[in-house]
Amino acid sequence: MDDKVILLVEDNADDEALTLRALKKNNIKNDVVVARDGVEALDYLLGSGPTAGRPSHDVPQLVLLDLKLPRVDGLEVLRRLRADPRTHLLPVVILTSSKEERDLVNSYSLGANSYVRKPVDFGEFTEAIRQLGLYWLILNEAPPAKRT
Amino acid sequence: MSLERRIQIGFAIAVVIILGVGAAALRSTAATVESARWVAHTLEARAELEAAFAELIYAETAVRGYVITGDTTYLAPYDSAQARLGGLLAGLRALTSDNPAQLTRLDSLATLVSVRLERFHWTVETRRTGGPAAAARAVIGGRGKELMQLVRGLVAQIEDEEARLLAQRSAVLQTKARLARLAAWSGALVAVTLAVIAGALVSRELAGRLRAERTLGETQTRFRQVLASSTAVIYANTISGASFSPSWVSENVTRITGYGPEEPLRPTWWLDNLHPDDRARVLAEMSALLAKDQLTTEYRFRSKDGTYHWVHDESRLLRDAAGTPIEVVGSWVDITDHRQAEASLRASEERLRLLLGSVRDYAIYMLDPTGHVVSWNPGAEQIKGYRAEEIIGEHFSRFYLPEDVAAGRPEAALRAAAAEGRYEEENWRIRKDGSRIWADVVINAVRDDRGTLLGFAKVTRDLTERQRAEEALRASEDRFRILAVTANDAIISADSHGNITYFNPGAERIFGYRAAEVNGKPLTVLMPERFRDAHRAGIARYLATGEARVVGKTVELAGQKNNGAEFPLELSLASWQRGSEIAFTAIIRDVTERKRVDETLRRHTAQVEAANAELDAFAYSVSHDLRAPLRGIDGFSQALLEDYADRLDDAGKDYLTRVRSASQRMATLIDDLLNLSRVTRSEMHVGPLDLSALATGIAEDLQKRDPARRVEVAIAPGLHVSADPGLMRVVLQNLLENAWKFTGKRTAARIEVGSVPHDGRPAYFVKDNGAGFDMTYVGKLFGAFQRLHGAQEFDGTGIGLATVQRVIHRHGGRVWAEGAVGDGATFYFTL
Repeated sequence: MDDKVILLVEDNADDEALTLRALKKNNIKNDVVVARDGVEALDYLLGSGPTAGRPSHDVPQLVLLDLKLPRVDGLEVLRRLRADPRTHLLPVVILTSSKEERDLVNSYSLGANSYVRKPVDFGEFTEAIRQLGLYWLILNEAPPAKRT
Repeated sequence: MSLERRIQIGFAIAVVIILGVGAAALRSTAATVESARWVAHTLEARAELEAAFAELIYAETAVRGYVITGDTTYLAPYDSAQARLGGLLAGLRALTSDNPAQLTRLDSLATLVSVRLERFHWTVETRRTGGPAAAARAVIGGRGKELMQLVRGLVAQIEDEEARLLAQRSAVLQTKARLARLAAWSGALVAVTLAVIAGALVSRELAGRLRAERTLGETQTRFRQVLASSTAVIYANTISGASFSPSWVSENVTRITGYGPEEPLRPTWWLDNLHPDDRARVLAEMSALLAKDQLTTEYRFRSKDGTYHWVHDESRLLRDAAGTPIEVVGSWVDITDHRQAEASLRASEERLRLLLGSVRDYAIYMLDPTGHVVSWNPGAEQIKGYRAEEIIGEHFSRFYLPEDVAAGRPEAALRAAAAEGRYEEENWRIRKDGSRIWADVVINAVRDDRGTLLGFAKVTRDLTERQRAEEALRASEDRFRILAVTANDAIISADSHGNITYFNPGAERIFGYRAAEVNGKPLTVLMPERFRDAHRAGIARYLATGEARVVGKTVELAGQKNNGAEFPLELSLASWQRGSEIAFTAIIRDVTERKRVDETLRRHTAQVEAANAELDAFAYSVSHDLRAPLRGIDGFSQALLEDYADRLDDAGKDYLTRVRSASQRMATLIDDLLNLSRVTRSEMHVGPLDLSALATGIAEDLQKRDPARRVEVAIAPGLHVSADPGLMRVVLQNLLENAWKFTGKRTAARIEVGSVPHDGRPAYFVKDNGAGFDMTYVGKLFGAFQRLHGAQEFDGTGIGLATVQRVIHRHGGRVWAEGAVGDGATFYFTL
């Protein structure tokens, strides 16, 4: 396809492996960068923390964001992305285990583009990833690239 | 008949009379003159006769002289007599030509005279020729003396005749003269009489005129004075064609308008000073004057000093006999003050009307002297119930009770008001709808300046409410007294100094004091030492600034019993104005026991809250963390099955499949548990809800998920309830999924949703003809994790119905089930 990057923010190695497997099974060939907690994700996207300054790479095409993360959780990551002009239009899909109402409400309130619950059944999970990829990487027109 | 006419007639009569008298006098004078002429004629005739006789005598004498002397000189008289006697005798003849007898005598006389003259002539001739002696003989023989005697006799006869005529004619003359005198005298008398009468008449008339003129003059003077002192200016305009020109104006115009007496006669004076805003209107009205012959109008007119005054102008058009307008006369009154007075009266009346109109709590109205209503305000309408148009003109006795009317009370009230000027009472009155009101009534007699009774002003206030309130207050006081006496709580009142004024039996029980012991003592005796200063400061502060820290609130404090024991109390303190003083009432409850219970309850509540918080955190954690490993188990089992299929025998593949299905069941279990937990924790949002529509949607979803199934679904329409839509969706989802599931083995599956009456309220049900259940275990149906069927037969977690029950209970409803093994099940719920 193309060289656009997907950022997968996931602390669970099993989920990470399963997600990558599901992407692969769906022939989604974008590079996937994995951040294992919120801090890593923010570092990658905004260049904050130890690698302060401008990130050396382009903004990813899509962020798959888990909510329950060590150090900085997913909602906080989302809030900071939306507060930053470089990333406030970046497509962010919440990909998480919970379907607690407060998680849904908070995610959408902070500007999540989609909310997808990870099914336990891997077959269903693979299907969910397929549809995500189809929609966000192919059908959806990305917002204009922000140059700063 | 007018004076002039009478004078004319009188004058004509006088002229006729005078003419008559004059004519009579003229005639008698003419007659007198005629008579006198005749007398003169007669006298002339005598004189002629005597002259003729005398000539004859002269001639005789002359002849004798000559005879004697021979001197011819003596013959002169004889010659003259000869010459003159013929004329004299001819004159006599003419003078007596009217009298034949005299003429006869004159003929005789003339004959005698001529005879005598012939004798003289003979004598004379005798002397001349004969001498004296012949003459003497001739004389002596001549018979002269006899002739003379004959002449003398004839003359005497003629004279006698003339004398007779004279006497006769003098008598006629005298008669005529007397007649003329008489006529003159009587005419003069008549004339004088007429003159006297006319004079009298004229002088009387003149006197009358004079008097009339004097009266007229006085009247005119008075009229002028009246006009001058009048407030009305009188004016006249002559009209020629369509234009008016002022012809006269009364003198007071100067006093009233300030203009000199000549100015108003200037043709444009009136129009120039007419207010510009009134000009067009007034000029338009002038045409009405020509049409109706009179006009009354009002306008503003500028005085000499430049100020405008309102003028009332009444004018009248005068026409001549032919009907042509000739003059306009009118009057003018300055009504500025009147208008202002009117305006201020109107304003004052308007204010009064508004005032009366705004008074709702008092009936204010007027009666005429006989007691009939003449005015009515909205307050009267409200209190009495009659509208103004219904009651005006009616007698006010209809407001009285029939028995009061029979006793003559209305009339008595008016009599009293008329006599005293004012009458007041409180009594029952009757409204239009027949209801009674307790009214405070004041009647004031209204009189004019001279004391004539004009009517009565009535002010009525409805005190029914007040009386009711007083009764209610008494009843309330009784109730509160009983309450205070029987209350378990201490009720204590204190004055503004904080001294106890009331101490109820409850207070006696709680504090251990008798009321008599503490009455008048400061409240501080009821509190532990450490609170007393704060209490005193609090009362002082409240009285000084009104800042309340305790008043109006319920606070917990500590009290001290008479035995010195301290106990917790709850205090409600109220302050109230009692006259000018502030007083306090406290309701005090001994909360020792409650404090103990509260403490336990608080502890328990805290525990429950902690447990809930833990549960919440637990559920959240479960939601996230418990599922992740399951996903790993399932996902990697699948990966094994996919990637290592060639190295696994059928048993291995079967085990991996079981691992997957176990993990998926676990995931479902977790979700159901979370659901159960959620329906307990989530907030309720009750609103109108269409159960029929909700059930239909869910049934359609089930059919879509399981398209192969043939299930007859009958949902009653119009099941409207008031409930939380999210939670009711959970209920119907569970019940319908169960029905769907348990009819799975039926060939003719049927699911019914509807309602039946149950204890007067609708009970909603979901009924199926599926596997049913044994009523023996109906009690276990709604317990969590309770299942009546094996997982092999029907899968499930046993949490659905527990969830349903929780939702229904949270709505305050009830849920129950009926069923039989193999004969379907019905689940009922109320809300």
